[in-house]
Amino acid sequence: MSAPPATLSAEAAPARPPLLEVADLRVEFDTYGGTVQAVRGVSFSLERGKTLAIVGESGCGKSVTVQSIMGLIPMPPGRITRGIAKIDGQDMLRDQRIDGKDIRGRLVGMIFQDPMTSLNPTMTIGDQIAETLQVHAGHSHRRAFARAVELIDMTRIPEAAKRARQYPFEFSGGMLQRSMIAMSLACEPSVLIADEPTTALDVTIQAQILDLMADLQRDNGMAIVLITHDLGVVARMADDVLVMYAGEVVEHGGVDDVFYRSAHPYTLGLKAAMPSNRTDAAQELTPIDGSPPDLFAPPEGCGYFARCPHAMRACEATHPPAFAIAGGHDARCWLHHADCDRDAAQVYRR
Amino acid sequence: MLMYTLKRLLQGVVTVWFIATATFFAMHAVPGNPLTNEKAVSPKIWAELQKRYGLDKPLLEQYGLYIKNMASGDFGVSYTQQNRQVNDIITEHFKVSATLGILAVVFAAFGGILWGALTAMYRNRAPDIVIVFLVILGISVPGFVFAAFGQLSLVKVNDWLGFTLFPVAGWGTVQHMIVPSMVLGLGTMAFLTRLMRSSMLEIVNSDFVRTARSKGLPMTRIFRKHELRNAILPVITVLGPSIAAITTGGFVVELVFAIPGLGRYFVQAVQQLDYTVIMGTTVFYGAFLVFMVIAVDLLYGMVDPRVRLE
Amino acid sequence: MTTNALSFEPVRVEREVETISRPSLSYWQDAWLRLKANTRAIVSLYLVIGLLLFTVFGPWLWQVDSSAQDLDQISAPPGAERAVTVVDEYRPWQGATATPVAGAGGELQAPASLSVAGDATTRAVRLQWSAAPDAGGYRIYRSIFDTAPDGALGLPLGDVLDPTTVSFEDRLDLQPLTYHYSVVTLDDRGREATGYTSVPVEVTRVITAAQAHAKGLIDSADVVRPGDVLKLQMHPLGTDYLGRDMLARLMHGARVSLFIGIVAPFAFVLVGIFYGSVAGFMGGRVDQLLMRFADFVVALPFLLFMILFRILFNVQPGDNSILPMMVAMVVLSWPAVARLVRGQILQIREEGYIGASRLLGAKTNYLVLRHMIPNTMGVILVTLTFAVPSAIFTEAFLSFIGMGVAPPTPSWGSMCNEGLKTMLTTPHELIFPAAFISITVLAFNLLGDGLRDALDARMRATE
Repeated sequence: MSAPPATLSAEAAPARPPLLEVADLRVEFDTYGGTVQAVRGVSFSLERGKTLAIVGESGCGKSVTVQSIMGLIPMPPGRITRGIAKIDGQDMLRDQRIDGKDIRGRLVGMIFQDPMTSLNPTMTIGDQIAETLQVHAGHSHRRAFARAVELIDMTRIPEAAKRARQYPFEFSGGMLQRSMIAMSLACEPSVLIADEPTTALDVTIQAQILDLMADLQRDNGMAIVLITHDLGVVARMADDVLVMYAGEVVEHGGVDDVFYRSAHPYTLGLKAAMPSNRTDAAQELTPIDGSPPDLFAPPEGCGYFARCPHAMRACEATHPPAFAIAGGHDARCWLHHADCDRDAAQVYRR
Repeated sequence: MLMYTLKRLLQGVVTVWFIATATFFAMHAVPGNPLTNEKAVSPKIWAELQKRYGLDKPLLEQYGLYIKNMASGDFGVSYTQQNRQVNDIITEHFKVSATLGILAVVFAAFGGILWGALTAMYRNRAPDIVIVFLVILGISVPGFVFAAFGQLSLVKVNDWLGFTLFPVAGWGTVQHMIVPSMVLGLGTMAFLTRLMRSSMLEIVNSDFVRTARSKGLPMTRIFRKHELRNAILPVITVLGPSIAAITTGGFVVELVFAIPGLGRYFVQAVQQLDYTVIMGTTVFYGAFLVFMVIAVDLLYGMVDPRVRLE
Repeated sequence: MTTNALSFEPVRVEREVETISRPSLSYWQDAWLRLKANTRAIVSLYLVIGLLLFTVFGPWLWQVDSSAQDLDQISAPPGAERAVTVVDEYRPWQGATATPVAGAGGELQAPASLSVAGDATTRAVRLQWSAAPDAGGYRIYRSIFDTAPDGALGLPLGDVLDPTTVSFEDRLDLQPLTYHYSVVTLDDRGREATGYTSVPVEVTRVITAAQAHAKGLIDSADVVRPGDVLKLQMHPLGTDYLGRDMLARLMHGARVSLFIGIVAPFAFVLVGIFYGSVAGFMGGRVDQLLMRFADFVVALPFLLFMILFRILFNVQPGDNSILPMMVAMVVLSWPAVARLVRGQILQIREEGYIGASRLLGAKTNYLVLRHMIPNTMGVILVTLTFAVPSAIFTEAFLSFIGMGVAPPTPSWGSMCNEGLKTMLTTPHELIFPAAFISITVLAFNLLGDGLRDALDARMRATE
């Protein structure tokens, strides 16, 4: 591996451009304490019908990444300083706010973490779903509402016609999240972004919601971007995984590659901190010591340096590029450098 | 909803009864009786007056009679203007006060909602800072000062124009109503603006507005259907107390602008110690406010579905 | 970046040990720090302290009797001219006479000329005019406005019903202003002619040596001669319509207004705390009953009870009713505080730390002193701060409608009430007390906002 380090986007070059493509996205927030570099050059792409999971601990920039693509971060104080995000060749960062032709809601649907607060308390569920169709598809209210009832039915809420006339406070959390899914799918978007869709729900409901998403994906062929910090959810849903740390992608690859051939110490740390039901694994959970770096002044070297058990001189001073491990699998870790005399395989063989 | 309405109305009736009772016994707890202050009159006339106002009967009988009369809407006869029914006084003068009050409430509510929404949209920019400053001023200046300066500036404006744009005092035409009702609503408007602003700031950053934006809705629709409607809710809850504040403020504005309303009449009655008018007007105002608060609560139920099914 | 520069030698990273980098602060220390960061609240705090100092030490520094009348300076705005010329003792004036002129019939004419005889002083203005044909008498008017635009002549000073007399001496409450005098001819039956003759007269302020001595402007009546110019007593904020010093009145008024504005809220907040904590502690049926009663009290009309207490305290119309006002405020204003305190107590009762403390064997007294009171203190303090402006408003409102503080006792509200009457000519009599009310209320409001933000994050406004 003496070739110059490859960048993530140059990784795969299919004949057809990918459905969703994000390259070198950088987002900053101005706060009283200074400027926070919340997202520091994130790139990824997503094909039709696939699911990409973005994992990482709180504050690593997962949500900011997708919200800035969707134009949902408040500006100011937020600022997208660099990068492109394209869906079906359309630039998402520039084409927003053209009435009726908006990408949001039409090409990309989104669901949020807390369904209890994410729906308008003074509007019926049916109206909130129908609203999207009225705006994007130009449906009359009657027609849009009828379609909304179908969508509610599709998300397996019983008595859809009656439920459509009810208000959010009359729904349970699981049903609200189903309604959110119905709402985000109203215009049959090609991408669904789910920002921690199950975090606020009971464990039993979580599984139902994930199954529903998987089923709908099979039927509609949409792509899903799934943000989570639950590796169990990743294993169940994802085709590809993006591991984020301190505003950067530290490892990216197929779900099996990332899980079984992890190539970054942070991914190892995450796995060690996750409960598992494998009998051969040590049952004790290992937390990752320390805390993420201060994003007001991100470190010059590797962001994980201060917490990494394999830290080297190079890690402290020089920012690691993404090293290709295998086809479609890369990681930002100096251990993969050709000149590194420590065998990366030794470190990562667990 | 029907049960809730009925329950609230019943509560209102009980409250009004309580006010009437408290008023009655408060007035009769006074040593002597209301006629003690009458100028020296012959014993015959004295007895006649006693009888006329039912003061010769035992207290409980008086109370029973009083409640009975109140219930049938009869407030008795004025002490100082002995040919006038209190009912006539109320019906004649309340129209004026109600017009003034309604205009003031409408002005305050619409102004408060509009300015509040505006400040939230321009947060920390020039319009916001200016309006917030004016709001603090509006909350800190007593109503009668507004009334006085309103009148003073009217005089100046009319002088400057060379003709009477708005009359300085009196009642009757639309021109008479505009400035007093604005002056009356000003303090409440400032208060509502402040409330609306903080409510808007909370709503604008709420999750469901973010959801609405993720649906790609146009800004105007998000503002109308999602932000405004939810931000107004706390404003509606304080409308009831606001109406009470405006009613009290009305006394002053009616005095300053020489408007023949019930408030001015009430203040006069207070100064002349005209007991029947004081009692009648108090109970009337009490009942009015109690039922206005109920009406506002019911209105709230119509806007907020969470209350409707309580 | 070349790979040669890279070193792959392993390093041991010193793990940062989690330490508490800041000394822990008590609730009140933390609140004070947060309050100090709020400029508006701190400025307001200084304003409040300044007002209190003004009230307490003001009358001591500015030793002017707030009820003494300075009749030479009535309704004088601040910075008004204080010069006064010394004159001789007053000597009566004979007036001027003229032979009546017979006219050619037709309409009655106004006098052809009108002039001032001698000096126009605040002691007397002496007018004389030329006889008008067929006049049966004359009527003299005085106005502080120019008569030209609308022909309004102002105040009728008097009639001269003798056609031979063509002079008039005005000694009525003269101020050092420019007056517009007008003379209208009357026919022999006393009816006014349509025309008038008018003259502007500038009046100078005068004083006799004896008067100056009596006022204490000079030590002895002998030290001045007519024509000397003296300075009248200084009134930094001017005088009111009775010539009383505004600054002294504002200081004394502040004592009344702030006394009511601070003592009444303290009293009803105490009542509210007591009632609310009883309801909150007892809970259940008692709580229900107590709170239902509080609901009724809220509905009671304030003005009625104000009247009632006036009668109970035997206050006659026109008397002061400071005590009834405060009693009415206390009797009718506590329910809001009671409701708040009850809510807090009910909430705190359910908190985990109360249960934990109880598990450790804490007695009720300890729980109340150590947990309940400190945790409701913030809310109570904020309520108190917001209650002050509303009490000041109530005092002002009641005094304004003539049911509160009555003349001659000054209070800011009663001063506004008096100032309103002369608002058009001398607005300073309204502006100063109104400004004091507004600044006080503003300061307490902003301080309350600041305290709320500093003490209780849950109550924090988004502002």
